[in-house]
Amino acid sequence: MSEVGVIFRREFGSYFNSPIAYIFVIVYLLLNAGFFMSGFFLSGEASLRPFFENLPLFNIFFLPAVTMGLWANDQQNGTFELLMTLPMKSWKVVLGKYLAALAFYIIALACTFMLPVMVMSLGNPDIGAMVSGYIGAVLLGALYLALGLFISGLFKEQIAAFIVTSLVCLFFLLIGNDFVVAGIDGWISGFGSFLRDNVGFTTHWNSLQRGVIDLGAILYFITVPVLFLVLNTLSLERRRY
Amino acid sequence: MIQVRDVSKVYGPTRALDRVSFDVGDRQILGFLGPNGAGKSTAMKIITSYIAPTEGTVTVDGIDVAKDPITVRRKIGYLPETNPLYGSMQVDEYLNFCGRARGLAGAHLDSRIRWVVEKCGLETVFKKEIGQLSKGFKQRVGLAQALIHDPEILILDEPTSGLDPLQIIQIRRLIQELAREKTVIFSTHILQEVSSTTDRVIIINNGRIIADGYLQELQAEAQGGAQLEVAFIAGRAEVENGLATLDGVKEVRVLSDGDGVVTARLVAEKGRDLRPEVGRFAAARGWPVVEMGVPEVSLEDAFIEFIRRSNAEETKEAQHV
Repeated sequence: MSEVGVIFRREFGSYFNSPIAYIFVIVYLLLNAGFFMSGFFLSGEASLRPFFENLPLFNIFFLPAVTMGLWANDQQNGTFELLMTLPMKSWKVVLGKYLAALAFYIIALACTFMLPVMVMSLGNPDIGAMVSGYIGAVLLGALYLALGLFISGLFKEQIAAFIVTSLVCLFFLLIGNDFVVAGIDGWISGFGSFLRDNVGFTTHWNSLQRGVIDLGAILYFITVPVLFLVLNTLSLERRRY
Repeated sequence: MIQVRDVSKVYGPTRALDRVSFDVGDRQILGFLGPNGAGKSTAMKIITSYIAPTEGTVTVDGIDVAKDPITVRRKIGYLPETNPLYGSMQVDEYLNFCGRARGLAGAHLDSRIRWVVEKCGLETVFKKEIGQLSKGFKQRVGLAQALIHDPEILILDEPTSGLDPLQIIQIRRLIQELAREKTVIFSTHILQEVSSTTDRVIIINNGRIIADGYLQELQAEAQGGAQLEVAFIAGRAEVENGLATLDGVKEVRVLSDGDGVVTARLVAEKGRDLRPEVGRFAAARGWPVVEMGVPEVSLEDAFIEFIRRSNAEETKEAQHV
């Protein structure tokens, strides 16, 4: 088994060593499905659009809970020293932890597949938009999780990691909001638009929800998580000094 | 095997290690002794590459720890001061993880797990959750993970800390057994630990090595010179003043004075035997000698003496600055 695989297996297994993981998945499913269903019959539209529209906001509260303990736990129980003295590069430990968190999120997301099944049984939804919507949902989670993993490495307390990750994710979300962009533009001309177009994910996220998988969106959702994983590795290495 | 050269570690305004140098030979067992916060753990963390030194170099088998930490880590088994355990894992799962993370697999991993389980006495808890184990068993699991890859070097930071006397004896025996085929460095602030486990000791205080040698050498060095303890039936003032005039006597200290018996400790130059001279001196004055002997310096006394000297030197240096 590769070194990344060894770390992945331990971290992924650790999610299911306590009932918290199961509770997390159930609550995640109930809230997402509940909010979706509350407007589904009123809208009369066979589409998952409302589900995907809510996802960036829901994930701000759920995904930092997945990542908050990824490093903080190791620092509290001493296993951080074990991981950092294993005969493997730090980036492999980072990647193993990240992939475990991403796999856990994908399982939680997969539990929502009953929604497209239901929508398809009740109408004729745009299958392409649903597929690209789910691809976007995975990519959005990949971004939040990489950010959360990096921030978890900066704090010893899980709650601090949770709050800061939520706030930074909220920042990424808000800089794509037209009102916020207009507000910042009014304050510093062009800066709000610059943030929306170059830093925030909303533009790319919206294109994926329309069923358009463009190269820019894919590049954005790969580059930004990689950047946070690199930052996480560098911050771990920096601690040696 | 291990060479530490002029290693310093600075954390902000604190100098945790200050130009520390020492060697550890193949299959040697070395005890790091020092008060809490002296720099023992910092030195160990640097050797394991967990932290990098601010200055200086560490080589293991000729490999620079800073340049090739991965190769060095393969040679080292490390038990940090905070036992690195995942409480929610079972002992078998944990050892499996530690083995795989160190590149073991298949039949070799299975045989290594069987070996450490037997050596560390983990048979009865093999399928138990680590969080449920007693402190003694947890410490053994920590030691097992350090041994899983059959390392050439074992670095154990306070391996018996918090254990009961029986558990301490078991861990000490295990360390001694392992030292027959491995290089072992362990730290402790318990003096008995050193005398019962190892011969060679390095005493660290305030980040500096203040003594390095074999126990007997250090005990002799701590005495600072030849000493003699004598009990006479005589007056205190006569003893104090009279003995001070003897050739070679640097210091006379009266230890007790009661029932007409005065017990004094005499300090002379290193290697000098004062007994014949003191005997003749007492006979000439008609003082009956009740007892005479060379006092033994315990490891505790030696340790306190080295710390006292180190602190005195530092105070002197501080005054000069």
